[in-house]
Amino acid sequence: MKNLIHAELLKLRTTRAFWAYIAFALAFVPVSIALTMTVSNDGLLLDSSEGITAVFSAASAGGLLLLLLGITMMAGEFRHNTATPTFLITPDRRRVIAAKLAAGSVVGVLATAVSSLLTLAIALPWLAARDIDVSLLSTDVGAPILGGLIGTGLMTAFGIGLGAVMPNQTLAITVVVVWSTTVEALLINVVPEVGRWLPMGAASALSGTWSAEEGLLPFWSAGLVLTGYTLALAAAGTNLVTRREIT
Amino acid sequence: MAAIEIQGLSKRFGEVAAVDDLSFTAREGAVTGFLGPNGAGKSTTLRMLLGLVRPSQGSATIGGKPYAAMAEPFRRVGAVLEADAFHPGRRARDHLRVLATAAGLPLARVDAVLREVDLADVGHRRVKGFSLGMRQRLGLASALLGEPEVLILDEPANGLDPEGVHWLRQFVRAFADRGGTVLVSSHVLAEVAQTVDDVVIIANGGLVTQSSLAELANRSRSGVRVRTPQAEALRGALLAQGISAQLVASDALVALESAAEAVGLVAAGIGAVIFEMTPEHFNLEEMFLELTTSEGASR
Repeated sequence: MKNLIHAELLKLRTTRAFWAYIAFALAFVPVSIALTMTVSNDGLLLDSSEGITAVFSAASAGGLLLLLLGITMMAGEFRHNTATPTFLITPDRRRVIAAKLAAGSVVGVLATAVSSLLTLAIALPWLAARDIDVSLLSTDVGAPILGGLIGTGLMTAFGIGLGAVMPNQTLAITVVVVWSTTVEALLINVVPEVGRWLPMGAASALSGTWSAEEGLLPFWSAGLVLTGYTLALAAAGTNLVTRREIT
Repeated sequence: MAAIEIQGLSKRFGEVAAVDDLSFTAREGAVTGFLGPNGAGKSTTLRMLLGLVRPSQGSATIGGKPYAAMAEPFRRVGAVLEADAFHPGRRARDHLRVLATAAGLPLARVDAVLREVDLADVGHRRVKGFSLGMRQRLGLASALLGEPEVLILDEPANGLDPEGVHWLRQFVRAFADRGGTVLVSSHVLAEVAQTVDDVVIIANGGLVTQSSLAELANRSRSGVRVRTPQAEALRGALLAQGISAQLVASDALVALESAAEAVGLVAAGIGAVIFEMTPEHFNLEEMFLELTTSEGASR
């Protein structure tokens, strides 16, 4: 299994597409901080618990890209026919998917950790320049960072499961982008009692993009819901890929 | 023991029987050509043999074991099923590194197989810049990583230039001469006729014939080409006399009977007008065509 996880990480490191996904995910951090600090400043009092949390939710700003990366890790094997050599080396496809989930979780958590450090490096001096006092140990900062490491860290594994269920990469990416930016965003805003049980609603609750006061689930419940979705997708995806004819 | 054994193998995709109760074997230390027209079921058979497609019925084993049941199948069997099974943005050497890592093979094998297929100089290049011939070689390199005794190649000559075909022939021959077993598919007999020891011919998912290449060549017969306005009637009369014949045009047929006299007598018997009679000799390729069209279709 160790060999397979190493191989999955090597697959990622040896394509430029992977580094582009990570770079884009990190590029969302300064954009998100700048938006919160300037444009959306009107309604949101920065010097408040919600304001600080909103600034530090930038740590999860690249979550969608980490999800798309996960999709390419699985669906890309079918797109480029590499599923054939992959499954010839390892005929037990469950082990391949397990290795992908492990590698994807490592990458997701590491990328979110880097993203968190970047958020701190940009937001702390910026807030200090505005004379806003921030305690690193407060929940206003700790919750979005920890929530990011859990929720956004899970995104790549979530994407792998999704890519296994929807092996058509282009379709899967389109569905996810449309779903998360319109359908679910609308549901969370308009019918939060439904939206908060959905994956992006749970991820938003963890990352502090939206808060529980706005109708989302409390922190730990959101973590459980998102983990549940990831495990369910992984199980369904493993089942489908195992039965799939590789032609 | 046969290196590769296919037993009553069938695969249905919905209503379509892609492979239908197919049985054949491939000897150890020999090159077996797996022949048939496009759509005959060759690729599906090879994919079932390698555990990528689930058979509807029957079994396919290598050295007595199904591929998926082997602990480290890549050490026994190497396979190239498609010319293009690479991430275009990955460097050739990295593609092999990924597979070697997954297999737990030393990285020294990566450089060894790159040399073996003459790609050592371009290993650092990304696959998207590779010609079809280079991709075929890289696929072969992947198959050789585990130093297998059995090599399975699906249409490996597709898209190769004459130089590439020549190289491949020598490679396959040398592999078998070192004691390896090769099963190589093709839809063109001429492509493999110089390389193979045995042939397995299939059509419409079923076995047409299995024999050594020499035996197949011996079976090639001569015949008589007849031009007549009553071609259809003459064909019926010939068949009634136990002489098989095929229409090759609306006014021409080929009787599979070497004696022109016998054909002439049958024609006279039904009063058929004959414009032309020419003796014909079938070469291997024509034999192959005849086997895969007439017998295959009437199976």
